[in-house]
Amino acid sequence: MSLFRKYGHVFAVGLQSALVYRWNFFIRGSFSLVHLCLIFILWGAAFSGVDQMGGFDVRQTLTYFIVVLALQFMVGAFNEDYQIGEEIRNGLINQFLLKPVNYFGYRLSLFASARLVSGLLVFVPLLAASPWFRDQLTFPALEPWRLSAGLAAMVLAAALQFTIAFCFGLLAFWFLEIQGFVILSYAIETCLGGSLFPLDLLPRGVFVVAQYLPFPYQMYFPAAILTGRIATPEEATRGLAIQAAWVVIAMIGARLLWAGGLRKHTAVGG
Amino acid sequence: MRFSMHYVRLWLASLRYSIVRTMMFRFDFLLWTVVEFAWMAVNLLLIQVIYDHTESVAGWGKYEMLLLVGTSMLMQRLLMGFFWTNLFEIGRNVRTGQFDFYLTQPGQPLFLVSTRKLDPDGLANSLVAIGVIVYALRHLGLPITVGGAALYAALVSIGLVVHYSLLLLLASLTFWIVKTEGIEGSYFTIAEFSRLPRSAFKSLVTTVVFVYALPAVVVSNVPASALLGRLDWLHVAWLAGLALAWLALAVTVFHRGLRRYTSASS
Repeated sequence: MSLFRKYGHVFAVGLQSALVYRWNFFIRGSFSLVHLCLIFILWGAAFSGVDQMGGFDVRQTLTYFIVVLALQFMVGAFNEDYQIGEEIRNGLINQFLLKPVNYFGYRLSLFASARLVSGLLVFVPLLAASPWFRDQLTFPALEPWRLSAGLAAMVLAAALQFTIAFCFGLLAFWFLEIQGFVILSYAIETCLGGSLFPLDLLPRGVFVVAQYLPFPYQMYFPAAILTGRIATPEEATRGLAIQAAWVVIAMIGARLLWAGGLRKHTAVGG
Repeated sequence: MRFSMHYVRLWLASLRYSIVRTMMFRFDFLLWTVVEFAWMAVNLLLIQVIYDHTESVAGWGKYEMLLLVGTSMLMQRLLMGFFWTNLFEIGRNVRTGQFDFYLTQPGQPLFLVSTRKLDPDGLANSLVAIGVIVYALRHLGLPITVGGAALYAALVSIGLVVHYSLLLLLASLTFWIVKTEGIEGSYFTIAEFSRLPRSAFKSLVTTVVFVYALPAVVVSNVPASALLGRLDWLHVAWLAGLALAWLALAVTVFHRGLRRYTSASS
């Protein structure tokens, strides 16, 4: 109970600070819409000569991209890695070493509150723009298994996104500047995470290998369940198992990095 | 004449300083070269995936598209190499008052602000972009001539002026709005459109906004069309006019902003 109260408090503080930055989220959301415009033009033109790509038509593909956009605000890690790196560099981290607060738990609570706010606020620009893309939306029948698997995949995707960002942030124990690593990982994630194109459009062999990597489970997997690119409960269950395994692996990685980083860390000043 | 030699010497000094700096932070140079390369690879992969499933996008075949994306990448790399860090730092320098430094130097503030640092990683990757363009030309069976290369270089330079102006304009907003951290995001969002063929814009609204109001599409499409032998001189005139207009606007806004600058030190 006290554990719940402690991190619940962090969550509440996080909610307040996320609401302070509501304009930032709003501006980000608007830029995302411009980006969505680009996606519509590019994929609309690509589909002009063919009816289907990888077994899906243009509406299904555009729906996929809209869902990915919403998911980015609901489960994606924005700049958590950067913030964590900064806290290590500035020595803000030192206070957590003296207090009975787990730094991972602290950051996770802040992440949860920030995504709650941004995940809700993204629907403002989306709803405002919906008259333009409403005709393109097409979802599969939302059977109970699809809904529950989709929700579980979203929660695990959020956990994976956060834990990986946490690991990248911890690199600041070893490197003065982590921005390069972060942008590099973002490139890999954009591509193999499925925000650039639906991963099932990759050549068959590459797609099969990619399914064992962590990246598809950051974004593609929940979007694929919700938009019908994953057709059967069996496929979804198998994906959820791999996804859960990657969350565990990432958490072990975070623990090891944290322990190793603290051994290297010197707290100066007072 | 003496006057312009002064600026050439200043620029060469910046170049020397940037190279020395890069030699000091070798790991950084390597890392950022890899980072930029990875992003270029991502864009190429997108083309590969799309053309695995379709023959043409808005009438452009795969290698024609590669030419367009290569052109867009080349311009972006040149912008990164020559100007990005400088313009990007205007915001921070104005906030902290370090901008004073530029005003006390013997030279045009705009020149000094724009040319102080060069990024060798951006310049290194522009070679990769040129490689992509040459690869696409080979596949299309198009000859590479001196005249064609010169025309292309001229058009890319004009395009670079437009990109520079756009970025300068955004960066100059910092004189009015102190917190301008989203600027690079807005630039990238606009610049992304330069990877689309002009013919992909079908609806009136997107054509007006992205082709006519914002210059991103024209800037990449005109040089790419020149390589493909589809150059329309009217478009060249349009591009040149665009560059002049945007440059004039950006320089005016920068100087207006400069007048508002009041330093920040204690």
